[in-house]
Amino acid sequence: MNAQTTPATPAAPAVAFSPADLARRRRAARRLGWALGLTVLAIYLLGFLLPR
Amino acid sequence: MSIATTHPADPHPGHYQPAGLLRWLTTTNHKDIGTMYLTFALVMFFVGGAMILAVRAELFSPGLQLMQPEFFNQLIGIHALVMIFAALMPAATGFANWMIPLMIGAPDMALPRLNNWGFWLLPPAAILLTLPFVLALFGIGDGALATGWTFYAPLSVQGGMGIDFAILAVHILGISSIMGSINIIVTIFNMRAPGMTMMKLPLFAWGWLITAFLLIATLPVLAGAVTMLLTDRHFGTHFFNAAGGGDPILFQHLFWFFGHPEVYILLLPVWGLIPHVLATFSRKPNYGYTAQVYAFIAIGILSVVVWAHHFFTAGMPIPALIYFMFSTMAISVPLAVLFFCWIATMWKGAMSFETPMLFAVGFIVLFGIAGLTGLILADVAADAQYHHSYFVVAHFHYALFAGGIMGVMTGVYYWLPKWTGHMYSETLGKWHFWLTVVSFNLTFMPQFFLGLAGMPRRIPDYALQFAEFNAISTVGAFVLGLSQLLFAWNVWSCVRGGPKAEGRAWEGAEGLEWELSSPPPHHSWETQPVIK
Amino acid sequence: MTCRILQPRATGHSPVAAFVRRALSTVVAVALAGPAAAEMRFNFPEPVTPLARETLAIHNEFMLIITTLFVVVFAIMIYSMVRHRKSAGHPPARFTGPRGALQWFWALVPFAILLFIDFVLMGIPAVQAIISMEDTKTRADMVLKVTGMQWKWQYEYPDSGIKFISTLSTPREQISNADAKGEHYLLEVDKPVVLPVGKKVRVLLTSTDVIHTWWVPQFGVKRDAIPGFLRETWVQIEKPGIYRGQCAELCGKDHGFMPVVVHAVPEEEYLAWVEQQKLAASAAAGSAERAWSRDELVAEGKKTYDKVCVACHQADGQGLAPAFPPLAASKVVNGPLLDMNGKVIPGSHVDRVMNGKAGTAMQAFRETLSDVELASVITYERNAFGNKMGDMIQPAQIKALR
Repeated sequence: MNAQTTPATPAAPAVAFSPADLARRRRAARRLGWALGLTVLAIYLLGFLLPR
Repeated sequence: MSIATTHPADPHPGHYQPAGLLRWLTTTNHKDIGTMYLTFALVMFFVGGAMILAVRAELFSPGLQLMQPEFFNQLIGIHALVMIFAALMPAATGFANWMIPLMIGAPDMALPRLNNWGFWLLPPAAILLTLPFVLALFGIGDGALATGWTFYAPLSVQGGMGIDFAILAVHILGISSIMGSINIIVTIFNMRAPGMTMMKLPLFAWGWLITAFLLIATLPVLAGAVTMLLTDRHFGTHFFNAAGGGDPILFQHLFWFFGHPEVYILLLPVWGLIPHVLATFSRKPNYGYTAQVYAFIAIGILSVVVWAHHFFTAGMPIPALIYFMFSTMAISVPLAVLFFCWIATMWKGAMSFETPMLFAVGFIVLFGIAGLTGLILADVAADAQYHHSYFVVAHFHYALFAGGIMGVMTGVYYWLPKWTGHMYSETLGKWHFWLTVVSFNLTFMPQFFLGLAGMPRRIPDYALQFAEFNAISTVGAFVLGLSQLLFAWNVWSCVRGGPKAEGRAWEGAEGLEWELSSPPPHHSWETQPVIK
Repeated sequence: MTCRILQPRATGHSPVAAFVRRALSTVVAVALAGPAAAEMRFNFPEPVTPLARETLAIHNEFMLIITTLFVVVFAIMIYSMVRHRKSAGHPPARFTGPRGALQWFWALVPFAILLFIDFVLMGIPAVQAIISMEDTKTRADMVLKVTGMQWKWQYEYPDSGIKFISTLSTPREQISNADAKGEHYLLEVDKPVVLPVGKKVRVLLTSTDVIHTWWVPQFGVKRDAIPGFLRETWVQIEKPGIYRGQCAELCGKDHGFMPVVVHAVPEEEYLAWVEQQKLAASAAAGSAERAWSRDELVAEGKKTYDKVCVACHQADGQGLAPAFPPLAASKVVNGPLLDMNGKVIPGSHVDRVMNGKAGTAMQAFRETLSDVELASVITYERNAFGNKMGDMIQPAQIKALR
């Protein structure tokens, strides 16, 4: 990828996001999104269990 | 640049494209959602502003003229909640939605439907927050939350149903912010164009990344605290009631564990965008990119370990006082790194002073006052005098108006040509800047002196010795408030029309977003850019 | 709601006109007098305790430091803004960080200076101040217990058994602009705290309802009064005089109307005051034993009501709906006094006054009011505002109920 030409050269069109690549990225994003969301829920719920 | 023109006319043939209101209700496009966030923020900025002008009018002279203390207490608390949660935070999220995909070469946010939901939670929350005012007019309840935005127990256990409305609103606003944060994190991690390594990420994206992590770490704590408050109020628990084995100070710990990072949540996106503006108008690359990234991270980490400096006067053991004092002072080091880099970016550049640059420079100077007074507020003994006084009010308005809101205005003027394809009126912009800076200082500089002289905050009436400074402050506040109408008018005119803006709207602008046309096509970066 | 927001004004002119008139006169006054006007202070008021002096010294030192930092940093920036302009023909440089040992050295110097300022120049006096601030017990001569309550302060001298409530004495007419405001508007009380000069007073703080903050700027002391907890601080007043402060933590409706007034007097004068208070207290205790007539109780009760109850239930007993219920024609007030065995009926008038109502601003007055005050105010409420119960409760009965 890094061997590609720079975006400053209009004559050399950049590579399109392939549907497969985009789908893979979106899947990874969803997984991470759920993980973060569950972390939030865990912090919220753990607070009620802390001994006072 | 011609990348944009290579897009096919209709990227999604056969896609459902509703028009009118339904388009905005159902949109998953990051530009549409960004626009909605920014519009919402602007509207709520005026709502919150109107509330505080009523307060300043009451404080214009000693005695009660316009309102009773209960109503006064409601206005100050709702003003703060509206400005923080419904104006500043949505404005920053709007920036993120609009700019982060453009800046990192992504076709959209990673989770577009979550994005839509995140926005549409905001209007109901804002309505919940302000509805008690309206209900009270019809004799239902006793008005909105009257505890200040901090909800301190047991005052908030004792209050009326306005508190329940505010608790619910805070939950919804929190969920909305969490969704926005998750989306921004996963977009930055997964959707960057090839070659855009983390250490090539634009500083604005870095600032927002740290903000998003802070929100994820601290918002659930706030949500937990207000849920406990709700159960204390209605379900017989005693989390914050000493008579039932609870502790009122626990609430302050939980609240400020969120509340202090919240300051940086509001400011990090601004610290991220200021370097872009400085570099553009100095026609010179950013100084100390790596140092700024590490400063962001350091501030993010420090911000969650200093919370108790917000209630030194509540009393705590000496080691705790010393720890919270020194950890707070330590924040001055990464903050000084940022100031150093900002000024070094300007140094030996070829500067010109269009409106965004004026706002950026005004931001640096006035936010400098906030930072320096923050440094002395960290001192426990001196804090015993400043705390709960107008000194603190002045300090955090230098941080959140001059730092937060003027930072947002910097971004709006800087990116308006990109969003609308038109140039705004430079003359009006300069008038807006100078009126804002002068009236801002007229409003808040006297409040430093009021605090030193001993005026407590959140009082609807005051002793005669405070009259002069209060009168000056009120005059300043009204000029400040009215000047913002210029801003709204300038933005509105720019949306409607104006001289055509080029793709690279500013001569010295660098970055992927400027490679696209102005305004960018509805679907951008479907062909991915390659980073040098 | 509207009628409560827009409070009735005694004088006829509109608030907007008054606002504009005052705005103009203020602008003129400030323009003529300049910032040197007598009432505009730019620093702390004169310190009268060791803590306040130390705090003022620290504040002045810090102000000097941050002003210097501000001027130096922004002088550099303004120099750059003048010299390195495009319109002045300055060519942009391309550097992005320090290059070479010398530049690195100069880039790191500001941070070394900052660390020195943070942790030595500011840090050392700050730690010393904390230690002296928190040293409440060493060689303390006496104890003053301060209890915050909505919206007044109770002061207690455990050594001599003196205990009283101190409330705002500024007349309501001044607050509503019907009368001209006095010199100490909002900073005057019916019964000030009296403290001896030169003695180290350990101040214990607590609260009966919500969090309050006891603050006297000239003492350099500000500490929260937290329900269910005891917090402490100390004062050693060096100069006789009258010192004024206010509650500093938002504590509800009348947060702005609960001042602190301290009379600092020489020790002999203080001792004389203590003797006088003790005499008054024993006279009051004796009067609790005797039987009172209803008229006496009603007259005495009105005094207590106007001091303690009027902020919420209002002078006409109509309350402030919906948070503060009316007493006039109230089912509770016009209900039975005690049960057939002379015990408190739960939820009755006597119960509410003595034990409060949980979750509302109605606090328990059992500990804060005396037998006479409780008996008289209950009797007064049952026979005023159009309530015609015709009954009464004796101070001795209250004593038996405790």
